Amino acid sequence: MAAPQAAVKGPGRKRAVVTFWPQYLAISPFYVLFAVFMLGPVLFSLYLAFHKWDGLGPMHYTGLQNFRFLVKDSLFWQSLTNTFAIWFLSTVPMLFLALVLAAMLNASVRFGGFYRVAYFVPNVTSLVAVAIFFGSVFANQVGLINDVLRWLHIPAVGWMTGSFTVKLVIASLITWQWTGYNAIIYLAGMQAIDSELYEAARIDGAGPVQCFRRITIPQLRPIILFTVIMSAIGSMQTFTEPQVLFGSTDATNPDTGGPGHAGLTTVLYLYREAFDFNQYGYGAAIAWALFLVILLFTAINWGMVTRFGRRRAG
Amino acid sequence: MELTRRRLLQAGLLTGAGLAASACGSGSGAASASLAGKKMAVWVWDGCISPNVLKDAVAHFTQTKLTPSVIGGDFKQKLVTTMTSRAFLPSITGVKGEDIATFKGNYAEQFVDLNTLGADKIASQYVAWKLKQATTKDGKLLGLPIDIGPCALFYRHDIFAKAGLPTEPDAVSAAMSTWDDYFAAGVKLKKANPKSFIIDDGTSPFTYTIQQGTKRFIDENNHFIGDQAHIRAAWDRSIKAMQLGIVAPFADPGSTDSNAAYNNGVFASSVGAAWHYLDLVQAAPKTSGKWRVATMPGGPANFGGSFLTIPAQGGDHKLAFEIITWLLNPQNEARTWVDNGNFAANTGSYTLPAMTAPVPFFGGQKAIEIFAPAAQKIQAQYEAPADAAVSDPFQSELKNVWAKKKDPEKAWSDAVSTAKQIAQRQGVN
Repeated sequence: MAAPQAAVKGPGRKRAVVTFWPQYLAISPFYVLFAVFMLGPVLFSLYLAFHKWDGLGPMHYTGLQNFRFLVKDSLFWQSLTNTFAIWFLSTVPMLFLALVLAAMLNASVRFGGFYRVAYFVPNVTSLVAVAIFFGSVFANQVGLINDVLRWLHIPAVGWMTGSFTVKLVIASLITWQWTGYNAIIYLAGMQAIDSELYEAARIDGAGPVQCFRRITIPQLRPIILFTVIMSAIGSMQTFTEPQVLFGSTDATNPDTGGPGHAGLTTVLYLYREAFDFNQYGYGAAIAWALFLVILLFTAINWGMVTRFGRRRAG
Repeated sequence: MELTRRRLLQAGLLTGAGLAASACGSGSGAASASLAGKKMAVWVWDGCISPNVLKDAVAHFTQTKLTPSVIGGDFKQKLVTTMTSRAFLPSITGVKGEDIATFKGNYAEQFVDLNTLGADKIASQYVAWKLKQATTKDGKLLGLPIDIGPCALFYRHDIFAKAGLPTEPDAVSAAMSTWDDYFAAGVKLKKANPKSFIIDDGTSPFTYTIQQGTKRFIDENNHFIGDQAHIRAAWDRSIKAMQLGIVAPFADPGSTDSNAAYNNGVFASSVGAAWHYLDLVQAAPKTSGKWRVATMPGGPANFGGSFLTIPAQGGDHKLAFEIITWLLNPQNEARTWVDNGNFAANTGSYTLPAMTAPVPFFGGQKAIEIFAPAAQKIQAQYEAPADAAVSDPFQSELKNVWAKKKDPEKAWSDAVSTAKQIAQRQGVN
């Protein structure tokens, strides 16, 4: 252990870098790749947000012009509303179902390992394949769900046309795909809860529902906060689901996001502006506006969940 | 093996070294691929040109190692990205018809002017209006056309017969030569068979009326003209069809609903370019033999059709041009029609047996008799780079009227105001 001592004795930090070069080198691959493929593009997109650029020609500095357009752009605001609606419609049932699933998995059931795998499989299934499948299930005229409704003599629903139902279809896809993933995270959290707490509660006469409400949920608070924030960040960036479900096959008319742009999420909108319509600067401006929204949203989330937890604990 | 700090460090170093080595390896490999004369890369997308023709081209041009690659995903985006990086550009690349306006307007200097390689001498082989699409204002020709999309009316012979409408292509062409006649036939069809609709897509009268004109949404002086009479007339035509009740219930093109409607006879006819034939074959293979083609209501129009181009930074331009003219000669163009369903832009191929053969899907009709005359009658129209972006709100609002019964006047004013905003962002004045 000669090296740390040398660092302590050394005159400055520079010496530390020199002394520990093998260690720095060892961790460098990640940072090099991160800088090239993540940090670089992020900084470049910030630069781009203040320019008008068609992707190949010279860039023109336009100051805040892109952001001024953005404020007036009704489609941008619509895309934000769509994104929030889809987030709400997917996250609430998803996290609720995940908690219930995790509690069921946590109780000792037979074939526990099988269920864990089964619930996780949707998460690793190709999203494009799933979206095509959901598209067929919810199809207006020949979809499975409408066939069942007609068989029950209930009028069919225009799933793929209504501005609310379009969001519902996308949200149900996200819920289906991510419930298992969140259930596994909750399960891990539940298994870390001290069993003595449950034993003590049971001796005091608490039933399973009370145990769940008074012990499991408060103990899981940090994990619930984690999943709420992660699913918020994930949902704010919803792209593939509406892209595959409502991406027009007609290349000359990129009318994205379904009828009336009801499923046009913000990321899908930025993709369309940048890559379909060659407005790279404007696309970057949308991306940074979305960044600010996510930042704000995460702060609100954090505040709400921590306050809720404190009240519960107190 | 015990996991110690030293071992971890060794592993880290090895990984780093390995990454560096592989990075060098792939770098040098790609560099040699772009060296002119030795290897020549050809970029196409799936369905751009017949794969058999490409295979033969590799065998035919022995002086070079021709390497065609089918590029998946967003083709235009990948080409633009490669041009931005100024390296590893192919010697020959396809450019889709919907992208040529963008390339011509914003990236013309990225392509070789084919007239400097002798394209002006063979220009007469190709339909003139299509060449004009790839010609810049100062007369540079950026690409030779692979295919064109002469539009026609695809209709179900059996459904027309049951409804008492004309059934043979000549009779249909004569009876439905204008949009109004076509709509009248639709009303008659609806009376005879309420489950069948003559128009499959509520936006299509709008789309194809614009294709039939010479002006689009932006004029040659970069002015927005999307709020003018020619667009309004096209809009009203779509609205009229919807109000007559002759448009099928909403189904996004290519969706499960739309494919089913082709199969079960909900769509009695469909207006589209020659390549739309393949959409029908894929959507409704079981209806083979029941379809026919007639001339387009309201006159000839074009929709789509792509080009082969030579990037300025690609390899051997002279040889590349020689390869392009070989790929696009009448015989090979005819094979691309047979293999891919892309209708040839080279008029020399129109008399070849492969093109004039009866098409079983159309009940043995010689489809060329509809497409070839249409191809020669099409007028050139000016398409600005921002045209697709500016036209989007109109399509979107028409879909709102079609799918959600939005008030047409409200939809029109929303479309115009959104289009003006987009035009402003795109630098159109």
